[in-house]
Amino acid sequence: MRRVLLAPLMAALPAAAMAADAEHVVEARKGYFSLVALEFGPLAAMAKGEMPYDAAAAKAHASDLVTLTKYDPSDLYAPGTSADDVKGTAAKAAIWQDAEGFQAKGMAFFEAVAALEPAAGAGQKELAAAVGKVGGTCKSCHDDFRVKR
Amino acid sequence: MSSPDPPSPAVETVRIWDPLLRLFHWALAATVVLAWGLGKFGPDIMTLHFYAGYAVIGLLAFRLLWALVGPRPARFSSFVYRPREILAYAAEAWRPRPSYWRGHNPLGGLFIVVLIAVLALQALTGLVADPDDFVNVGPLAASVPSWVSGSAPGWHELLGNLTLGLVALHLGAIAFYKLWKHEDLIRPMLTGRKTVRRG
Ligand code: HEC
Ligand code: HEM
Ligand code: HEM
Repeated sequence: MRRVLLAPLMAALPAAAMAADAEHVVEARKGYFSLVALEFGPLAAMAKGEMPYDAAAAKAHASDLVTLTKYDPSDLYAPGTSADDVKGTAAKAAIWQDAEGFQAKGMAFFEAVAALEPAAGAGQKELAAAVGKVGGTCKSCHDDFRVKR
Repeated sequence: MSSPDPPSPAVETVRIWDPLLRLFHWALAATVVLAWGLGKFGPDIMTLHFYAGYAVIGLLAFRLLWALVGPRPARFSSFVYRPREILAYAAEAWRPRPSYWRGHNPLGGLFIVVLIAVLALQALTGLVADPDDFVNVGPLAASVPSWVSGSAPGWHELLGNLTLGLVALHLGAIAFYKLWKHEDLIRPMLTGRKTVRRG
């Protein structure tokens, strides 16, 4: 009798565990992009002249961005963590359906960040041009793979 | 003007649309198409889209001014009608004959108010939009709460689709008048002169 009652409960357990995991993945993923934004924000502000250009600070932010691109983000895209599966995320299911397209957007971003590093300390003009290119890759990925609110 | 004989003595061909209003119309059509196309398909660095959007804002501002101080047919008082008048016009609009309306007809007037309001909202949501990419941030995004700037891109996209629908409706209505009602509304928007009911 007890076994019969427990069976559905046991069956439900892995699903519950998965849901908790999915939430953590989403949290981590948003954290990752928060870090990207935290480092990129000041660079964009310097590029637009909203903040005085400071070569040393620019270099530091750019190298932090490069560090972030060295992190293998595949764990952030565990299956079952799209906006269709869980609440609180803006990750489109297209990320998993069109993995190749998503990777291409990621590569474009990595390349733009790689070009940003030498430009960051080279002067405000150089920084501004490189920042524009990086920002373009943010937009281009968000357009296709992030839900607009 | 070498127009054919008036189809009936009850109508006359007179200047309805002043040159600035006509210029406004075609400039608005061009800049809206440009802004829309650049928004959807333009470069990822959206500087040109922003310029096209500013041009739309300037044109809308002119039109609002013109609706207050412009020539009579351009004024609010000439194209904003009471609901009863709009319904009455709508009830007979399907008839396959020209309206000979002196200015925008009541239904068209309603449409223009809607279109201009949607375009204004479109521009406003663009101005305050923060799409989280740091390069295409609307110039007023920092002046509004972040929940506004964060949701503005979504509204901007929705309104963009609505604009597309309204422009399709606009062109459909013009075609309907031409093909079904045998009334050419485009020519008056080019030359200013329209055949209208006397009085
Ligand atoms: C390869 C695709 C891709 C690139 C490139 C990219 N993003 Fe994102 N970004 C995403 C996705 C997907 C999300 C949604 C994450 C979620 O909600 O789970 C996101 C979310 C964000 C968020 C919101 C995080 C939160 O707390 O909800 C910010 C801010 C952000 N990105 C900034 C940037 C910036 C700045 C850049 C460029 C410097 C950038 N992103 C480049 C895909 C990308
Ligand atoms: C994005 C494109 C367009 C937009 C945003 C637009 C907008 C408008 C607006 C705001 C008006 C009201 C004019 C006023 O009093 O200020 C108007 C009228 C008009 N438009 Fe357009 N227009 C567009 C494209 C076109 C095109 C391509 C045509 C022609 C084929 C056209 C033909 C007309 C005509 C004939 C009128 C006058 C209607 C009447 O007699 O009441 N429009 N349009
Ligand atoms: C009224 C004229 C305008 C029209 C018709 C228009 C149309 C569009 C369209 C169709 C898009 C693409 C939406 C999508 O599918 O993702 C877009 C994006 C955008 N527009 Fe506009 N726009 C206008 C004015 C403006 C103005 C005045 C600004 C700012 C100053 C602006 C800022 C933006 C931004 C930042 C985006 C990108 C949003 C994102 O990436 O999430 N727009 N616009």
